[in-house]
Amino acid sequence: MQRRTFLQQLGALGLLGACPAILPQHLAAAPSMVSVKQLPKLKGELTLYLGRGEGGLYENVLDAIKKRNPDFDLKIRRGPTAALANAIVAEAQANVRRAEVFWAVDSGAIGLLTDKGLAQPLPEDLTSQLRPEFRFPNWAPVTGRIRTLAYNTERLKASDIPDSILALAESDLSIAWAPAYASFQSFVTAMRLLIGEQKTINWLKAMNKRAKKYAGELGVVLAAERGEVDLGLANHYYTLRLKSGKPDATVDLAFTNNDAGCLVNASGIVALKQSDTAINFIRYLLTTEVQSYLASEAYEIPLIGDLAPPAGLPALQTISPPKVDLTQLANLRPTLNMMRKAGVL
Amino acid sequence: MIRWPISYPFALIVALLAILPVVVLFVLASDSVQFFDAHNLKVLYNTLLLMFMTLIGAVIIGVPLAFLTTYIQLPMQRFWIVLYIAPLAMPSYLGAFTFYAAFGPGGEIKNLIGLSTPSIDGLFGAAIIMSLYTYPFVLLTTRAALSSLDASQVYAARTLGLSLAKSLWRVVLPRIVNGIAAGALLAAMYALSDFGTPAIMGLDTFTRVIYVEYNSFGLAQAAMLSIQLLVVVGLVLFVESRIKGTQEKPSQHLLFFPKPMQLTGMFLSTAPVIILSIILPLAIFFLWLWRDGAGHFDLSIAWNSAHASILAAVVAVILALPLAFAAIAGKLGRLLERIAFVGFGVPGIVMGTALVYVGLQLPFLYQTLGLLVLAYVLRFIPLAVSSIRAKTESLDGSLVNAARVLGANRYEALRRITLPLSMRGIIAGAALVFLESMRELPATLLLGPTGFETLATYLWRVYEAGYFGRAAIPGLLLILISAIALTIMLSGEAGVKTKLTKGPSK
Repeated sequence: MQRRTFLQQLGALGLLGACPAILPQHLAAAPSMVSVKQLPKLKGELTLYLGRGEGGLYENVLDAIKKRNPDFDLKIRRGPTAALANAIVAEAQANVRRAEVFWAVDSGAIGLLTDKGLAQPLPEDLTSQLRPEFRFPNWAPVTGRIRTLAYNTERLKASDIPDSILALAESDLSIAWAPAYASFQSFVTAMRLLIGEQKTINWLKAMNKRAKKYAGELGVVLAAERGEVDLGLANHYYTLRLKSGKPDATVDLAFTNNDAGCLVNASGIVALKQSDTAINFIRYLLTTEVQSYLASEAYEIPLIGDLAPPAGLPALQTISPPKVDLTQLANLRPTLNMMRKAGVL
Repeated sequence: MIRWPISYPFALIVALLAILPVVVLFVLASDSVQFFDAHNLKVLYNTLLLMFMTLIGAVIIGVPLAFLTTYIQLPMQRFWIVLYIAPLAMPSYLGAFTFYAAFGPGGEIKNLIGLSTPSIDGLFGAAIIMSLYTYPFVLLTTRAALSSLDASQVYAARTLGLSLAKSLWRVVLPRIVNGIAAGALLAAMYALSDFGTPAIMGLDTFTRVIYVEYNSFGLAQAAMLSIQLLVVVGLVLFVESRIKGTQEKPSQHLLFFPKPMQLTGMFLSTAPVIILSIILPLAIFFLWLWRDGAGHFDLSIAWNSAHASILAAVVAVILALPLAFAAIAGKLGRLLERIAFVGFGVPGIVMGTALVYVGLQLPFLYQTLGLLVLAYVLRFIPLAVSSIRAKTESLDGSLVNAARVLGANRYEALRRITLPLSMRGIIAGAALVFLESMRELPATLLLGPTGFETLATYLWRVYEAGYFGRAAIPGLLLILISAIALTIMLSGEAGVKTKLTKGPSK
C-alpha cells in the first residue's frame, strides 16, 4: 500500500514542476537535503550488483564516489536488472551470498527481493532524507521514471498516436521495443494486473507482428529517431537524453491515457547485508549532488527534497498514470511465462 | 598383469572432468520442467533452419574459392589463400555487431555515404553472417580434397570429348563430395553453437533462448534446452564421424593459367566476400575510433582477458599432455581422449549454464576466476590435445625405446625424449587455447567474477547499452588477436588447421 501512495506522489511531483505556486508547501514538508560533504568517508570493500550495462550515467556517479573515497573498494557486477535480481535470489537459496547492495533500474526487481525477505532494513535517518511519501522500511527509491511512446516526428504527428496502449496493437504503426529490459517487463506486469492475462497475451501477440526487438531502450529510441520504426516503447529519459545531445533529433514523447503505457516506476537500491559501508553508500546516492546530477544529466526524476524534475519532461499533470501497486510488479515469473508464451522473449 | 601407461590415471581424471558439465545438465533438467512446448518447437525450427542455411551458404562461397585457390595459378598464391581463410579466425559476433550497426536505415553506411541499405537481421541476417565466417571450413576441406586428386582422369574425360565444365562436374565433383561435406558440417556445428550472432540478429535459436532463460534464472529450463541442443550437436558430430576423406595417390593436380582479364574477373567476383567479412568490420571499428576516440577505454579490461586466457592455456596444456600421451599409448587411452573431446561439442552458453550451477553448489568456486578458467579449459582442451598429438604421433616410438634400452627409466624417457620433441605442439596448443579464450563470449558473460570485464563481455555490454562508439578499441583488439590466431593456425599442422581451429568452439 505504501507504494501506491508513492505513485500518486510521483504524480504530485509533476504538479510541483508545473505549478510553482504549490512549491513552498512542499518545501516546508521536504526534509533537509544532505550534501556529500556531510557524509563519512567510505572504507573497505563493497560488492554492488548494478542493473545496468556499460555507458550508463550511473557509472559516472559511481566513479565520482570512488574518486572521493580512495580507501573504498567497490566491486561492481553488471547485468540486466532482472537477471541480477534472480541471481541474488538463487544465491540466497544456495547460501552463496555475494551481493551486498543492489541498485536496480526497476522497482519490480526490488519487490522480488523484499518479498523473499532478502532486503535489510534501512535506518530511519536515511529514509527520512526522502520525502515522507517515499519512505520505505527496506529499500530506497533513487529516481523516478515514466513509460512513454517515443515517436518519430517526421513520420508521425502527435495526434496520430493512439492514446491507449491497447489501440497501439490495432494500429498500422511499426514499433520498436526491448522485451528483455526490466522496465519493459514491469510494464507488462502492470498490464497483466490491470487488464488480465489473456488480454495481455493477445496484445503481446498482436504487437509482436509489428514490433522489432532491440536489446535495450536506448536502441529503441535511436531506432525511432532514425525512422527505422514509427515509434518505440521506452522510459522517458532515453528520449530526453538523445534530444539533449542532438537538439534537432526527430523524436518526441507521447503518453497513453490511464493505462500501463504510462506506468510510473522507480529505480531503487536495497542493502542485502547489514553493514555501515552498505548503508553509507546508499546515503551517497541520496545526496543533493547525485540527485541533481541524475536529474540534469540522466533526465531522471529526483526523489529527495525540492529538486526540480528534469527539463523537457512535459507537465506531468497532463499525464494520468495507472493505479498499480508497485509491490505486485515483483511477481515477474507469470509475466515472463506469458511473454514466452506469446513468443516475445 | 598388464602395466598401465603412467598417463592413464591422469587422462581418466581429465576425461571425468570433461563430462562433468553434461552430467550437471541432466541433474538440473531432472527438476520438473516443461519438456517441450510450441515455442520450443519454433526455437528448434529456427536453429535447424539457420544451420542449413549456413551450411548451404558456406558451400556456395567455399567451394568456388577452393577451386580458385587450388586449380588456378594465382600471383601471390599464399597471400590469397591466407586472405580467403582469414574470416575463419574472426569471431562471427564481431561481424554481426558491425553489420547490425552498418546496415539499415540510419546505419553507418547511410550516415556516411547516404546509401540506403536494407537492415541485416533475423534469420537471413544471421545466415549471411554465419556463412561469411564459416565458409573457410569448406574452403579448407575442399582444397585438401582437390589437391589430392589426380588430374589424369580429367584429361581422360577431356580426350573422350567432355567439356571442361562437364568433366569438372562429372569427374571431379563426385570425388570431393566428402571433403565438401566435412567442411559443411563444421560450418553447421558453428552455426549451432554460436551465441553472439543470433543474439545480435534477434533470432531465437537455442543459444539465445538459453541465455534468456538463464537471465530469468530458469536454470532447469535452460538445462533442458541445453540438452536438446546437445542432441542436435551430437547428431551432427555423428554424421561428421561417418564421413571418410578420399584417399588417392598424390600426384599432379589440375592447374590453369588464366589470362589477366579472366583473373581480374575472378578476383572481382570474390571481392564482396572479403569486403563484407573483413574490411567492413575493420572500417566500422576504425570509424568509431575516429569519431569517439580511445580515451574512455580501460586497459585493465584487456589485461583481464589476457590474464584469464593465459591461465586457461597453461592449465589446458598441462591437462592435455596425459591425454595426448594416453591416446598414443593404447586403445583405452584413445577412448579417454575421445571423452575429453566432449567439451568441443558443448556450446559456450551451455557450458556456462552448467558451471553456474556447479558454482552454486560449491560456493568456494562461485564467481571465481578458477571456475571461468575451468570453463575455458573444458571447452578448448581438444585444441591443445590435437596440437600435441599432431607432434607426438609423428614422433618415432623407437626413440623412446632406444632411450629405455640405454637404461633410461620411463620418467627419464618422458622428460628427455618425449617432452622436448612435443614442445612445438605444446606451444602451438597453448597459443590456440589462449586465443580462443580471449574471444570467448557466452561462458564469460555467465561465469566472470564480479567486476571482471573482458574484451568480449565489454563489447557485449556496449552493444546492449547502445553506446557503439565504445566498441572500437575492444573490437580492434579482438581482430588483432584473431589475426595472430590465424598465423598460428596456418603454421600448425594440417589436421589442426582443417579440423579444430575454430569449429564449434564458439
